[in-house]
Amino acid sequence: MTTVTARSGGLTPLRERLPGSIVSAATWFWRGGVAAQVLTLAIVIGIFAVGTGGKYLSWSNIQVILSLAAIPAIFAIGLHPTIVPGGIDLSVQGVASLVAVFVGLLLKNQYNAHDVGFWIIPLCMLIGAVAGAVNGLLNTALRIPSFIASLGMGWILYGLAVYMGKAVNVPLLDTRIGKFTSATLWGVPLIAIAVVVFTSIVQVIEDRTRLGRYMYAIGGDEVIAKQAGVNVGMTKVALFTVAGAVYGLASVLLTCRLGIATSRMGLTLLFPTVTAVAVGGVALTGGIGGAKNAALGALIVTALNDGLILMHVSPYIQQAVNGVVLIGAVALTIDRKKLGFIK
Amino acid sequence: MEVLRPRGTADEEEPKERRARRGQIPPVYLTIALLIVVTVLFYLGNQNFLSLYNINTILSFSAILLMVALGQMCTIIVGGIDLSVGGLVSFISVIFILLIKPLGYLAYPLSLAAGALVGWTNGNILTRIKIPSFIVTLATGGILTSLAYIASPRPVNLSPALYGVVDLVNGTLFTVSNVLFMGLAVLLVFWAILRFTKTGRNIFYVGSNIKMSWMSGIDIAKTRNIAFMLSGLGAAMTAIMISSIRYGGDPVVGNAYVLNSIAAVVVGGTALTGGTGGVVNTIFGAIFMSMLDNGMNVIGIDQYFQQAILGVMVIVSVTLTFDREKTPIVK
Amino acid sequence: MNVSNGAEEDVILALRGITKIFPGVVALDRVELAIRRNEVVGLVGENGAGKSVLMKILIGLLQPDEGRVLLEGIPITLRDPSDAIRHGIGMVFQEGSLVPNLSVTENLFLCHENGFSRLGFFSLRSMREAARELLGELGLQVDVSEPVAEIGPSARQMVEIARLLWLSRLYGRDNPVLILDEPTTVLADKERETLFRILRELKKRASVVFISHRIQEVVENSDRIYVLKDGKNVTEMGAADARIVRIEQLMVGHSFSADRFHEDEQRTERGREILRIEDLGRTGIFEPLSFTVREGEIVSLIGLVGSGKEEICRCIAGLERADTGSISLDGRKLPTGSPDVAVRAGIGHIPIDRRSEGLALMMSVADNVNLLVLDRLKRAGLLSPAQERKNAQHWVSECQIKTPSISTMCANLSGGNQQKTVMSKWLSSQVRLLILDHPTRGIDVGAKDEIYKLLRRLAQQGIGMVIMCDTLEEDIGLSDRMLVLKDGRLVREVDTPPQKKPSPQSIISLIV
Repeated sequence: MTTVTARSGGLTPLRERLPGSIVSAATWFWRGGVAAQVLTLAIVIGIFAVGTGGKYLSWSNIQVILSLAAIPAIFAIGLHPTIVPGGIDLSVQGVASLVAVFVGLLLKNQYNAHDVGFWIIPLCMLIGAVAGAVNGLLNTALRIPSFIASLGMGWILYGLAVYMGKAVNVPLLDTRIGKFTSATLWGVPLIAIAVVVFTSIVQVIEDRTRLGRYMYAIGGDEVIAKQAGVNVGMTKVALFTVAGAVYGLASVLLTCRLGIATSRMGLTLLFPTVTAVAVGGVALTGGIGGAKNAALGALIVTALNDGLILMHVSPYIQQAVNGVVLIGAVALTIDRKKLGFIK
Repeated sequence: MEVLRPRGTADEEEPKERRARRGQIPPVYLTIALLIVVTVLFYLGNQNFLSLYNINTILSFSAILLMVALGQMCTIIVGGIDLSVGGLVSFISVIFILLIKPLGYLAYPLSLAAGALVGWTNGNILTRIKIPSFIVTLATGGILTSLAYIASPRPVNLSPALYGVVDLVNGTLFTVSNVLFMGLAVLLVFWAILRFTKTGRNIFYVGSNIKMSWMSGIDIAKTRNIAFMLSGLGAAMTAIMISSIRYGGDPVVGNAYVLNSIAAVVVGGTALTGGTGGVVNTIFGAIFMSMLDNGMNVIGIDQYFQQAILGVMVIVSVTLTFDREKTPIVK
Repeated sequence: MNVSNGAEEDVILALRGITKIFPGVVALDRVELAIRRNEVVGLVGENGAGKSVLMKILIGLLQPDEGRVLLEGIPITLRDPSDAIRHGIGMVFQEGSLVPNLSVTENLFLCHENGFSRLGFFSLRSMREAARELLGELGLQVDVSEPVAEIGPSARQMVEIARLLWLSRLYGRDNPVLILDEPTTVLADKERETLFRILRELKKRASVVFISHRIQEVVENSDRIYVLKDGKNVTEMGAADARIVRIEQLMVGHSFSADRFHEDEQRTERGREILRIEDLGRTGIFEPLSFTVREGEIVSLIGLVGSGKEEICRCIAGLERADTGSISLDGRKLPTGSPDVAVRAGIGHIPIDRRSEGLALMMSVADNVNLLVLDRLKRAGLLSPAQERKNAQHWVSECQIKTPSISTMCANLSGGNQQKTVMSKWLSSQVRLLILDHPTRGIDVGAKDEIYKLLRRLAQQGIGMVIMCDTLEEDIGLSDRMLVLKDGRLVREVDTPPQKKPSPQSIISLIV
């Protein structure tokens, strides 16, 4: 009796070829809570502590890591409320660049004298919020998939930023905010403390307000959520708006820390932000992961890159490592039942 | 008893009116109309727009963009997207030049092979690890950009002694630049593959209805791999063209091509939802993009503003061509 | 159709003269339903009898074309499920409608957290307490902070019921109407008992519409029973007077013209064996079974939802892997779980949902018809447009597909012609065995007839078929043999030769 053999080019993902127990353990561990992330952080620290002969664990290096991780953490917190309902926001580059340009226009620098001072922060959050709202409306009213809508918006905003800022780098003379970003309190970078507080606040909002719970409901099952009475459209727009506002905040802080307003600021932000969110355990398929995940993810990525720098790894190889990490993190957190066939 | 969910099933016949409305105006006619309108506008802005020299420039840029756009089109038709083309163009543009010195004309096939390999890798990660294409290609694009920098942190120039190797591209035939012929050739090859080969046809089936394709025994993994491989090839070809014209490679040269290739495909009328589209759409899309870029320069619109305009065009085109029946829930 | 005994004032919810028409089919024809306070009403009927459409109207997912819904005598319009809940009408779906990643507490109070919140933030502690209390009323003890995905189907059902009860209380409805759609399908025996106990408790403060295909359950737990058939009321009886056999007989039995299924064309001589199933089983889904299909035979799998027939067909088509047993085609054993193996061996599958599983809607008729045979339509290694055209045109005429041209987009064809296109695709590849999953669903009468004739022709040509139909009559009329499945097991084989067909009434008792 002859047999017909199956073609080997079928859809047998790597995942299914590994022993089932290992894969499911890894997935369970990674999703949801932060246990996996804390463990990962410990492993990363361990590896680099050994690799750098202890230099990694020096107090000054830890300060550097905390200080460097703060702003990416805010960006990650901005990104995640668009991912939890099942979409994504790829417009961070545009928002950041646009905000940088506005900072250059409105804070005292060598080209102009007027200065809005600390008002720049809410102003930039407003700019980000408007951009986010547009993203949300494109997604809900015009029914454009969020990844294209936000990608397109990112390009539009970036173009606008570069058009307004003309690729000129503007050193800032009002350094008050900049000083804040480098200050320390009892040796701990002030900005890191601020981010911890910020993360906690956002986390509480996610756990205990309607907006937060609706975000998770939509991510869990949009159809059911709608049937239960959730106003999916409005919630999504609100979430994109919040994301934009948080981008605005992070962008202002970043511009001031750099001390230079440049329209190209946003260009390299998308990749690390998405990586941070994924590594933190926020599933691309939605429904899982909160602010603490996003912030922790940023911390892990920063710790990783800091270690690579200390070990004199070429910056370009770092980028490659980050790429691999992104793929790995997404692979582990994705809920395949929700995706059916991957596009 | 069936499950009562507000999802469509085949229980009820689709109302006749809805059936008739579909597919009435092929989107490509809109693109052509747009092309004509824009041509007129630019001509009114500056008569030089339609000078022979300018037309030649536009067509040359179209041909170069067309190559990467055709590849991008394949990934979009199969239902995904390739965000790594920017990094790939940068990378190949650098290694093509670097390979000419030791290997001469072999640089051509090797660069093409590298492009194909990258595309094939994208396809494999996509199917074997089951990650959405836009994440995979986002990541590989980043990796490729960094590889480009590793290969050469600064622009690398071709030494004049080796200029002969790239005359293949820079030459002219009957005063028409070789670039145009190559563009035409690539166009015909892609057309042939999509129209006359089983795998090409499968790209449409998979993009149109992946579940049905699986149930009918189509090899989904292989189809996707080939679609992404074609994208890698297209990007590689574009990189070769650019490096030849500039007599040098540059790790930043590819950045704009992600947006431009997607825009060319989408504005040309190919739907992001996959399963439809063709080379005709993309060639008009590429010409349109090239015209827009050139025209805006000719009438003096700020170059930076152009990117914003492109973003708008992409969003508008996607809105018009998106197949909402396929995805009742838009994420 | 009158409401028998009991006062009119006791009726809390009534459906009067409900008619709903879809293109080509009358789903409901002047249906009457009355639900009294504190009673359990059972609703039974075959697939396609109209139960689901009726319930969709009751909870606001559909609007009736004619007729009225009366709540306590007053006509109301239910625009959507939220509207229905506000009127105290809610439904527990078979698949469940809880958000899987949210906790029990969050699901219970989703969108109605106002009572627990201060300044926009809710007190999780008071929510949890309230949740525990609510569930306690139903006798359910569960960790209310766990995501509902982890608590098991029986507990999930309780949560849904609790939510509906709570919402009705919130809206001040003293006698809510809860619709339970096939609640026992997902439950184990002991859990079923719990559910029935809860039903008795629920009756004290609500009314329940209990839908199930297990007639015995319905008779044992309802006060009154409605039987629907073909979108019409057949009867309404008190449970005390109900006899299971009588109900079964009322559920089936349509008056068709004698030759509706073209019995005179039914092939009687058998050819060689094509398909041999030996001890094919999937743990937990269907138990090992064996049967054969010969050339020209039409074998029908009959049984209720959950009997395993759909899964068996999917297994044969290569869409699911079997845990035990084997599938052999023309004597060759085929590995299971691989559609391309099945397709290359010559097994075709006409899926139940032609739009999402059968066709590439945005592609032409020709492209769809030629999908499986592209290798044969080549010249010099490349696809030949001329041969493609020829093949497509051949099948369009062979199967009588009504289309303006072979380049028409499939989305523009009517349902019947779409189905014929799907069939052409498989026939073009010279299948040996065709699996047909409800092939005439959603198709108008004229097209159904054409498909019956087509199936007869295919049988004459020697193609074997495994079929599952929408009605028992169709199964009996079309098939040569029927395999009766119940709860995952093959219980009987019944011969259905032409002119000597058993009646639906005699069969129905086997499947329920």
